[in-house]
Amino acid sequence: MRLTLSIGVIAACTLVQVFAAPAPDADAILKHSYDNYRASSSETTVAMTVHRPDWERHLEMKAWTRGEDDALVRFIAPAKDAGNATLKLDRDTWVFNPKLNQVIKLPASMMTQSWMGSDFSYNDLAKSEDIITEYTHKLTATEQSLGHTVWTIEATPKPGAPVVWGKVTLKIRDDYVMIEETFFDQDMKPARRMQADKIATLGDRPYPVTMTMHPLDSPSQWTRIDTSEGRFNVNVPDYLFTLSNLQNPRQ
Amino acid sequence: MMSRFMLLAPVAWRNLWRNPRRTLITLLVVAIGVWSILVFDVILNAWVTSSREASLRLLTGEGQIHATSYLDDPNVAHRMSEPEGRLLRALNSPVVSAWVRRVRVPAVIQSEYRTRAVTFLGVEPPGERIVSDLPSQVVVGHYLRDSDDIGIVIGRDLAEKLKTRLGKRVIVMAQAADGHLAERSFTIAGLFDGSQAAQDEFVFTGLHTAQSALGIGHDISEISFDTAPAASLNDIVSALKHAAPSRGIEPWTALSPLAYAMESFSQSYIAMWLAIMFVLMAIGIINTQLMAVFERTREFGLLQALGMRPGMILFQVTLESALLVGIGVLVGVLLMLITLVPFRHGLDLGFLAAGAEMFGAGRVLYPHLDPGDAVRYSLIVWALGIGAALWPARMAAKADPIVAMAES
Repeated sequence: MRLTLSIGVIAACTLVQVFAAPAPDADAILKHSYDNYRASSSETTVAMTVHRPDWERHLEMKAWTRGEDDALVRFIAPAKDAGNATLKLDRDTWVFNPKLNQVIKLPASMMTQSWMGSDFSYNDLAKSEDIITEYTHKLTATEQSLGHTVWTIEATPKPGAPVVWGKVTLKIRDDYVMIEETFFDQDMKPARRMQADKIATLGDRPYPVTMTMHPLDSPSQWTRIDTSEGRFNVNVPDYLFTLSNLQNPRQ
Repeated sequence: MMSRFMLLAPVAWRNLWRNPRRTLITLLVVAIGVWSILVFDVILNAWVTSSREASLRLLTGEGQIHATSYLDDPNVAHRMSEPEGRLLRALNSPVVSAWVRRVRVPAVIQSEYRTRAVTFLGVEPPGERIVSDLPSQVVVGHYLRDSDDIGIVIGRDLAEKLKTRLGKRVIVMAQAADGHLAERSFTIAGLFDGSQAAQDEFVFTGLHTAQSALGIGHDISEISFDTAPAASLNDIVSALKHAAPSRGIEPWTALSPLAYAMESFSQSYIAMWLAIMFVLMAIGIINTQLMAVFERTREFGLLQALGMRPGMILFQVTLESALLVGIGVLVGVLLMLITLVPFRHGLDLGFLAAGAEMFGAGRVLYPHLDPGDAVRYSLIVWALGIGAALWPARMAAKADPIVAMAES
């Protein structure tokens, strides 16, 4: 009798689990999406297009990441900008300018400034983790689009978190590719939006190979990121993420 | 002497009006001269007071205490411990009317749309209300309540530039004690008005909030103090220096050099103006009196022939000048009063506010007539006028009666 009851309970639990599976957890989706985007380490080749009403410019760079906190970006084209590099270790960011042959640790005042003239700030690079750590997440919609399930997650800043946004909404596909991220101001008016324009297989995974950042208060300007090559979970040497390598590249 | 005066005064008065047009012109010259000196003095003094108040009543106070290297590089590393022992006793002595502690570091403030460099201050609100006018300039929302207040008060203009407003959240970033970047979100509790530069530069939160954000324990950046009305600032500064030799203690004259320069040069400006106006007046007075004396050569000859001594003639002509200049001075003072009465409640410099602010003055000047100054400058002009008239008077007294009478 006791045995039968036990089996019954186990069976009931299993049933509940089976039926509960389609209601995924917002935190887990987001975390999974970030892991997919960055993996435990990565090496990518990226082209950046900065568009303004009067001009447009193209930059090419190689980027390496290690874990969640360390990143190195080195520009390789055009010749004018080649050699400029940005190193992020944990909470600190340094830039190297080959013309000055100087490494500068970015002070607070510069972290919010534009990164190489784009619509990204140094903080967008340095604090990309914020969306996971400084916000609470809620799954607000699940819909079908182009053969994929798309989850909409609303991220609200935790009380006292050092973020300026009123909220952030993210759209993530069931293969954990983030297809849209919208930042709202504190009046809940959309202020900037990052969109995945093209999703393809890169390395071993589905990846947003073309992404565009639109500041919504100036519609005629945007910055596009095209990732042309990517290798994930590769062995990235530790010497890459050092100040001496920032100034005298060995790769 | 008195009887001579009684005798000559009516004569001098009548002589003055023998040529009314000439006399009136001279009167006018003197009156305008005196008027301009006094008005210039009053306005300049109002300007000096205003620029000193604008600077001192903003944040400077009458003196400040810092860590020695703070003024050269005002960052979080150059902080100091709370006052204690002899310094605390010196600050609490009756000659210091009020003092406040502050944390004051360069920082960056960020809204959704904009980022600006500012000076971030942690303040003690009850004390600030005494030493600073800024708490009373809050026009939207309210000023901070106490040192534990976690709100932030920023300039109205800064809020516009950040595209934010009351009740919204902003981020302040500053270098913390351990060198890393301290970030904290604040809700805007109030917006203050006032000088454009102050609105864009300063943001305020509670002292303890700032201390914990920067991780500096109970350390502070500066102490600002005011002195009791009768006390000498220099004595207090030297007493404080004696009590805390390792700290940098500066009076406002060193902290606000522009306000001090305005104050110390104002007397020189007035003296220069007085000299210029006086030269112009003297030319007018001497010219008029010389003309008058030369016209009356026969008269002086006759008076001397009748037995009037040269000294008396000198006295009479000087008396005429004294009356002339004296009346001119009185008219000038009267004109000055008439000019200043409409501005007794303040002269609004709104039309050149930005320019006035550049030189440290506030928007509204409050002309205040110092009776001592008015009497002093009037007497100086009068005495100098009489002095200038001595030359024509001497010419009259020197006249030889025979030659004078022989003139046809």
